[in-house]
Amino acid sequence: MNAGPSSHADVYLAEAEDLLADMEAGLLDLEGNPRDADQINRVFRALHTIKGSGAVFGFTQVADFTHHVESAFQRARDGEIPVSPGLLEVTLAALDHIRDLLDGKEDRAREKSLLARLATHVPQGGAASSRPDKKAKPPRPEPESPRHWRIRLKLGPQVMAFGTNCLRLLDELRALGDAVIIALPEGIPPLEHMDPVACYMEWDIILTTEQPRSAIEDVFMFVAEDATIGIEPIAYEKDDSKRLGEILVERGDIDLDNLMGALRQQRPVGELLVQAGQVSPEKIVSALVEQSKAREEPKTPMGVDAGHGSLRVQAERLDSLMDQVGELVIAQARLRQLVADSEDLNLRAVAEEIERLSSDLRETTMGIRMVPIGTLFGRFRRVVRDVSRSLGKTVELTMDGEDSELDKTVIERLNDPLVHLVRNCIDHGLETTEERVREGKPEAGRVHLSAAHSGAQVLISITDDGRGMNRSAIRAKAEERGLLAPDAQIPDGDLLAFVFHPGFSTAREVSAVSGRGVGMDVVKRTIDALRGTIEIGSTPGEGTTITLKLPLTLAIIDGLLVRVGKGLYVLPLSTVEECVELSDDARKDQRGCDFLNIRGALVPFLRLRERFKVSTPPDPFQKVVVVSSGTSRVGLVVDQVVGQHQTVIKSLGKLMADVREFSGATILGDGTVALIMDVPRLIEMGQTGADDRRLQSGVDDRHLIAGETR
Amino acid sequence: MTGSTTSLPVPAAGRALVASAPKGESECVLSMALAGNVFALEAAIVLEILDVVPLTEVPNSSPFIKGLLNVRGKVVPVVDLKVRLGLATQDETTLDSRIVVLSIQLDNEECLVGILADKVFGVMEIDGSTLEEAPSVGIAWRLEFIRSIGKSDQGFIVILDMDRVFSNTDRNGA
Amino acid sequence: MGKTILTVDDSASIRQMVAFTLESAGYSVTTAVDGKDALAKLGSGTADMIITDLNMPNMDGLQLITEVRKLPAHKFSPIVFLTTESEESKKAQAKAAGASGWIVKPFQQEQLLAVVKKFLG
Repeated sequence: MNAGPSSHADVYLAEAEDLLADMEAGLLDLEGNPRDADQINRVFRALHTIKGSGAVFGFTQVADFTHHVESAFQRARDGEIPVSPGLLEVTLAALDHIRDLLDGKEDRAREKSLLARLATHVPQGGAASSRPDKKAKPPRPEPESPRHWRIRLKLGPQVMAFGTNCLRLLDELRALGDAVIIALPEGIPPLEHMDPVACYMEWDIILTTEQPRSAIEDVFMFVAEDATIGIEPIAYEKDDSKRLGEILVERGDIDLDNLMGALRQQRPVGELLVQAGQVSPEKIVSALVEQSKAREEPKTPMGVDAGHGSLRVQAERLDSLMDQVGELVIAQARLRQLVADSEDLNLRAVAEEIERLSSDLRETTMGIRMVPIGTLFGRFRRVVRDVSRSLGKTVELTMDGEDSELDKTVIERLNDPLVHLVRNCIDHGLETTEERVREGKPEAGRVHLSAAHSGAQVLISITDDGRGMNRSAIRAKAEERGLLAPDAQIPDGDLLAFVFHPGFSTAREVSAVSGRGVGMDVVKRTIDALRGTIEIGSTPGEGTTITLKLPLTLAIIDGLLVRVGKGLYVLPLSTVEECVELSDDARKDQRGCDFLNIRGALVPFLRLRERFKVSTPPDPFQKVVVVSSGTSRVGLVVDQVVGQHQTVIKSLGKLMADVREFSGATILGDGTVALIMDVPRLIEMGQTGADDRRLQSGVDDRHLIAGETR
Repeated sequence: MTGSTTSLPVPAAGRALVASAPKGESECVLSMALAGNVFALEAAIVLEILDVVPLTEVPNSSPFIKGLLNVRGKVVPVVDLKVRLGLATQDETTLDSRIVVLSIQLDNEECLVGILADKVFGVMEIDGSTLEEAPSVGIAWRLEFIRSIGKSDQGFIVILDMDRVFSNTDRNGA
Repeated sequence: MGKTILTVDDSASIRQMVAFTLESAGYSVTTAVDGKDALAKLGSGTADMIITDLNMPNMDGLQLITEVRKLPAHKFSPIVFLTTESEESKKAQAKAAGASGWIVKPFQQEQLLAVVKKFLG
């Protein structure tokens, strides 16, 4: 709140970004329903604020340009011009231009052409108004030599009800120079006719000042409309006030009777309040006095943004808050370990209290970082619009669950993969309009984005009603690339999942929008990196659904601590299905890939001791932790399952980028570092072993597992 | 757990100064022994010097990486420079061994890394006028990591360019 | 004793700037994001003056002014609205609703202070 002026601009930029997104949403809505007054108003208001605030914070070019667009929408709002597709088109282009201007990118030529295009949609004449950037009022002219003014002031009766304090006006006049103020109570009606909040007083002020007439007019700028104000220069040199009065009487300028009355009661300036009480015992004057006094009484200020409302916080501050909470969780784990050996009951009680507090703090902090996914979904309307136009397809985008919240980092990193998936589904998933008509489907293809919470995860799905995925093409490609033995039987989900292999694109024509054979694997990598999973379901002729499962937060997870050799490792608890003993009947085939029979299902497993090249003797009773990612499961053989552990995730850093089995590290209660296993990667490794075996034999070992997990 | 620390009074802001110090001005370096050679690095990038403590090994990582260390709540990889520089390695930790924690630039990102030193001598000023480019012959290890060669009372000191030692290309070293 | 000013604007940057300017001049500042918020805050605290934007979601400045004038505690409070040159008609409406004055955007910090001084001294 107390940030210096330099940061105002930053706040403005962040705000403008939000407003542009909001405006974009409004414009896209208007494409469907150009008469929606709420949306027109929404766009107008965004433009209005971008312009208004922009000018205040020195973004004059933004303000100037936005002004023109705002004018157009003002006229649209007032019903003077229709919201035509052309107007929306140019406004969207203008929006991009504003975005660039805010980024510091100028393009005068584009600006000119945009304004020209805009002008074609806005008939000339009656346009909204003057330039937006009318500069601050001109500097005051040099002081002139002192002059005398006679000011007759009769304020509108409602002036006080409109928040103006008459005394303040008089004070302001006094501040301009030497002022003699004469109150004229003649206008005050008898008590029974008096409105206690109306202003009946009139004043004559004789002012001697070096300030120009405009300075005096400025005093009355807010009351001038309803008041009768005469400001006239007095040609005479200053003398004493009596003589001035006499001169005025002699001149007989206006309202002679009133003036005479006023002059009889003239009092010195400093005594005005007293005088008001003396000469005008009427309620109105006493109300004025009372009011002015009342205003000086100390009042307790309201708490800043107390209770409700929201506060904009810099993202870095949130990140460092999360870091600090992470430190606290680690320190707390350490404390718990120390206390476990202590006999001191008081110490134990404090440790428990701190454990509870740090857990609460962790929850709260993670809550602060939650952002509704609608902020992300909103952007897709533009993507859908642009992509569908460039492909000449009509697409209807719907969404639900926009309120579902996710960690802001997850949201940020989801943008690119989701854009890719949405593009893909319009490009490949949806048929051309002709095809759809031929198939008897509605002309407009449907794309549905949805988000929903499911435990500690969020499910995000992208559904289209297009042609569905071409299984034979995928199969052919997989066989061609040697990923699948010809005629091998594999579960449908696994077949579809081949599209996530690098360089795997079945698009017959490579279009500019997608289908360059990069992307789906990158999408998968990104989702993996977020500790999420991705699944595809598709029905030929009916459409495809891609479902992403993502953890709510990235920073702290519940983990399962396991030991392999001397090393301790963490498995994300959300991936753990069960722990079993490694039984004797665990088959081990000659090619080094192991299978475990879990209630009739064959699950491949990895001996982590071998993989990690551990030389210490194995524990007598090895355990298998079954982990899953999507529909795939794999068992991980460890020496010991230690227990649950609240895990603060630390990045391994660039130096360790080539480490495959681990996605991060954490710090244990005793201060040592433990690695966090990359479960999707390990599953991939386990499955590859199984794939190799299946390729070799042409027999599917996994249908049993698949049968159980579906 | 991170062991006793011998903190060096190193101003963080000194980094840029030292890095851009023109030839001729004296330079502040930390000198250490690695496999019988004396090396130095600019003192400004040194954050702290720790006793050697057990590290968390990272299975299947490159031999260059000795393990992970908790440095004030941060997970820091500790590397063996001898592997990187192509020096003969004898894997023994002595009483003199230290872990020197540095802040380096890696792909334009600040990151912490620990290096194992057989012995740390201390911070010394090197007269800039004695600094020379690395000779192209007569050096047993990789030239590209040498920033310059300075003279001290003990003889020649090789000053390493740590940003380059950790640069992306061929990170896994010898 | 510092006077409290309630500044109402849906633009965070304007709120921050107004608050910063006024706080630097020794006033206490409360902020509200729209008319509804402002009314809620007036209900729970006090304000010697209100500075409000006109174009806001939920409840705009005109409605806010009308509502505030119905509150006994704020019958005489100065209410200044922020406006742009292009809103001459709005100005009249706001005045009719009970506004005390206005500040034309874009404004300089000293202009804002000058107007506030006009009402609070």
